[in-house]
Amino acid sequence: MTASRRDWLLDVGARAGVEAAYLAVGLATSVLALAVWIVGVTATLSLVVFVVGLPVFLLSAMAFRWTAELDRRNAALVLGRPLHGRYRDHKGEPFLARLASTARDRQTWKDLAWLVTHSTVGLVFGAVAVGAVLQVVAVWLMPFWFWTIPDGVDWGLWNVDTLGEALLMMPLAIPLAAIAVVLLRLMSAGESKLATALLDSPGDVAAERPLRPPPDLSALLTPQALVSGFLALLTTLIWAFTGGYFWPVWVWLGLALPLALTLGIRRARREPPGFQRRFAVQLAISAVLGGTTIIVWLLAGRGTFWPVWTLLGLGTLLGVHWLVAMMWVRVFPGVREQELVERVDELTRTRRGALDVQDAELRRIERDLHDGAQARLVALSMQLGRAEENLSGQPEVAELVRQARDEASAAIAELRDLSRGIAPPVLADRGLAAAVEALGRRSAIPVSVDVELDRRPPGVLETAAYFVAAEALTNVAKHAPDSHALVTIAMDRGRLVVEVADDGPGGADPAGGGLMGLRGRVEALDGDLRVMSPAGAGTTIRAELPCES
Amino acid sequence: MRVVIAEDQALLREGLVALLREHGIEVVAQAEDGPGLLRMIAGHKPDLAIVDVRLPPDFTDEGVRAAIEARERHPEVGVLILSQYVEPVYTAELLAGGEGGVGYLLKERVGDVPAFLDALQRVASGGTALDREVVAELVQGRGSSDQGPLEALTPREREVLSLMAEGRSNAAIAEALVITGGAVEKHISNIFSKLDLPATDDNHRRVLAVLTFLRATDAAQ
Repeated sequence: MTASRRDWLLDVGARAGVEAAYLAVGLATSVLALAVWIVGVTATLSLVVFVVGLPVFLLSAMAFRWTAELDRRNAALVLGRPLHGRYRDHKGEPFLARLASTARDRQTWKDLAWLVTHSTVGLVFGAVAVGAVLQVVAVWLMPFWFWTIPDGVDWGLWNVDTLGEALLMMPLAIPLAAIAVVLLRLMSAGESKLATALLDSPGDVAAERPLRPPPDLSALLTPQALVSGFLALLTTLIWAFTGGYFWPVWVWLGLALPLALTLGIRRARREPPGFQRRFAVQLAISAVLGGTTIIVWLLAGRGTFWPVWTLLGLGTLLGVHWLVAMMWVRVFPGVREQELVERVDELTRTRRGALDVQDAELRRIERDLHDGAQARLVALSMQLGRAEENLSGQPEVAELVRQARDEASAAIAELRDLSRGIAPPVLADRGLAAAVEALGRRSAIPVSVDVELDRRPPGVLETAAYFVAAEALTNVAKHAPDSHALVTIAMDRGRLVVEVADDGPGGADPAGGGLMGLRGRVEALDGDLRVMSPAGAGTTIRAELPCES
Repeated sequence: MRVVIAEDQALLREGLVALLREHGIEVVAQAEDGPGLLRMIAGHKPDLAIVDVRLPPDFTDEGVRAAIEARERHPEVGVLILSQYVEPVYTAELLAGGEGGVGYLLKERVGDVPAFLDALQRVASGGTALDREVVAELVQGRGSSDQGPLEALTPREREVLSLMAEGRSNAAIAEALVITGGAVEKHISNIFSKLDLPATDDNHRRVLAVLTFLRATDAAQ
């Protein structure tokens, strides 16, 4: 068998395993869905005539959402990403408004539709999936178990009751497996399509309501321990007065079981999220259940060690969990994290690239204006001047020419302002330090400038830093005309930091127009702009721009 | 008057040369970059060099750098910077390099031919010619604190001084401020005595007063 064909078979097998796991989990959630929607709908409908039905409706909607959320997460098994439901946000709304917005939220009804559908389709698909997998395994392993059935395994027309027959059955597992693979593929595709249709709503509602996490049961540990301790003591006291068989031990067991579960789950939740945590939770539950059965066996007078079956079952489930997790990793290697990291890297890179291109383009436009339109207008102005000289005999015409020259001058001045808005020439020519010093010199208030840079930052950062300083100084001159300002520019741990501090009255509005514009410029570069302006203690504007080289 | 020109844009250079020739000014050489300019000043010993700020190879501030070097090596040669934009940093650097014979004008001022020729004459004979926008930027940026000798001046005297910095004549100043020529003369003599300038010829005192003014504004930041 060639390596590629083996890989293909492994992939098919792993994929089928993941699909089987998806459908099996779906089987479990479909049972839950059935319970949730029947209870939710009947409770709401029967109580709605009284006022209590209204909060029950809200509770039901919440339960629908939590249940649907399980299926959204489960869908990640086959889709590689969890589905994302969007709900109207009604945070802080009064009760009636919440009621109305929940009722009007299409996702609430889609959740219900999903629960109803899933509780039938999911149930059937899940049962078929589990049955198909069991069938394949059972046929393949028939030599190991056919003898446990007294009359032999009745396989349609054929009764398997000898080892030879059982061995002959083994190859039959291959076509059965092929059928199972196709069946699993079809059912999981159908179920996940349906789930996507009903549970996934890509960006249509603007305001989104965050999912409230289910209540954390482990927080109830202390009251639970207290109540359990009290009940244990009470039952023991009652027994002390009545005597007889020491029955309180069963009460103790009954009380200890939930306590041990709470403790175990609490401990397991300290694991890092993802597979490790899920596995630890299952391990804790299995350990508690296994331990309980052993204790029950001890208390019930021992005899045959029947808890072996419980332990075997729990162990098998743990193994299946581990296998499915491994298969999932094989089908979607490193999926979400890796994908997201790559996506963020790519977006950062492309956005930065776009900004660099934009900066270079603006500077090119500035240069083109300087060498093109502006130069031609200057030449025009010169020629008009010479014409004016030669028209001293015709003062009216000379006046017209002079007016034309004034127009040319005005156009040149406008182009000059335009160029300066793109980036002042001194910034391109001499760099940030010289440009900011020039800013300080031109400012109407006294400005100290302290620039410490080993080398010139990239153009786009220079421009942003320059405009931060320029806008901040304009603000200082406007709002605190009697103050001094200090501009500091330095590199700090890979970030270009621009800080403009004044000793004015403070109390600047961080949402002011100029500051918002700056914020946009800084944030586009993944930077961060902070305004610190306590009343009476001056204003400091600090921009940090990431500057990896 | 003998002039060298450093200007890389052919259109402007040709226009400038033609204009100067029409008015009997001899363009003895034309340079296209900074080193070329320095060679021609050394070789031709002109009265005046007219220099563009942006020159090859990088088209940033090569012209200013060359002009500063020319002023160091040949203080007797006037240097007039022509630029399409105002940059006080460059003006300050030029002024720091010597006493007079320096100017910085926007290119479109060439169109006002009599004023331009006047500025050429002034710079060639050791005076100053600063564009009114350059002066405006310097004055606007004047911080409120420490202005050295300028603190003694009245606001009116400062106005007169900033017009002097642009290179305006007494008559032009009188016209701009709508006062009489006599009043202008009185202000100017007050400025001279407040700035404690030596009693040499009036032209030189004007240059010194303007330089004091510009350096004070430059130091005030």
